[in-house]
Amino acid sequence: MLGLSRKPKQLTFERTYPAPVETVWRAWTDPDLLRRWWGPEKTTVPECEVDARVGGTIRIVTEATEAMGKYAGTRWPMEGEFTEVEPTARLAYDARSWTEGEEATTTIEHANDVTLRATDDGTVVTLAVTITAVGSKAKLAAFGMKWGYKAQLDKLGDLLKAD
Amino acid sequence: MSAAAAATFAALGEPNRLRIVELLRDGPRPVNAIVQALGLRQPQVSKHLRVLGESGLVTAEPVHRQRIYRLEPEPFDAIAEWTESFERLWDARLDSLGDLLASLDREPGTDDGHRDPPSPRR
Repeated sequence: MLGLSRKPKQLTFERTYPAPVETVWRAWTDPDLLRRWWGPEKTTVPECEVDARVGGTIRIVTEATEAMGKYAGTRWPMEGEFTEVEPTARLAYDARSWTEGEEATTTIEHANDVTLRATDDGTVVTLAVTITAVGSKAKLAAFGMKWGYKAQLDKLGDLLKAD
Repeated sequence: MSAAAAATFAALGEPNRLRIVELLRDGPRPVNAIVQALGLRQPQVSKHLRVLGESGLVTAEPVHRQRIYRLEPEPFDAIAEWTESFERLWDARLDSLGDLLASLDREPGTDDGHRDPPSPRR
């Protein structure tokens, strides 16, 4: 089903949040908190399981709301397994993401490495995402592009205003 | 666009095809030069070139009695664009995490180890 694909690029992110490292850790590992920030705008997260221990499962389903028009009801599951868990410091998991009903053609495999570091001002979060494989005929639009750049920029704008 | 990126990923997913792409990055080459550089058999190389051609990564141009293979930039742009969309998704998500952390800060009972903030309704 999957073609092995050399990583096209490793994506890395770094953010500093004015929150204690314990709180940021909970935001990543407590399903009730995780589901509150995981889904992009116009989506909900109806299913969220996080078993943050090595070999434990992470499973999150993002679902398009009516506001996404023709995509309403489309579900994008992600399912993976933790490979590294050091409480409040590091989380790594290997996962697959796909569009429900089109698993064979839309699956993307990715490795994710999250580190948290307490500083005087709060917590520095770094995230490295490496895409390790994609479905041979993956309609990747379903995963990243369908919610559109505009929606994401609007959401960012709202957040900035909230600050 | 993104289907094109997928085809590109798939085409690059085979190690020898990736080697061909890396070789052609240095400039167009006829098939026998590729065969020589990679130490593969010609039918194998031709098969890989066909896949690379179908994905639009490589085109061939007849020059004298040879076909000269060269890289096409568009599929690589498609990969870059797709990767950017993935990046944007994560950027938005991490913004959203910041928003949540700020809201937790304002919720009573979250700074004393209380672990049950209200969960959102579906």
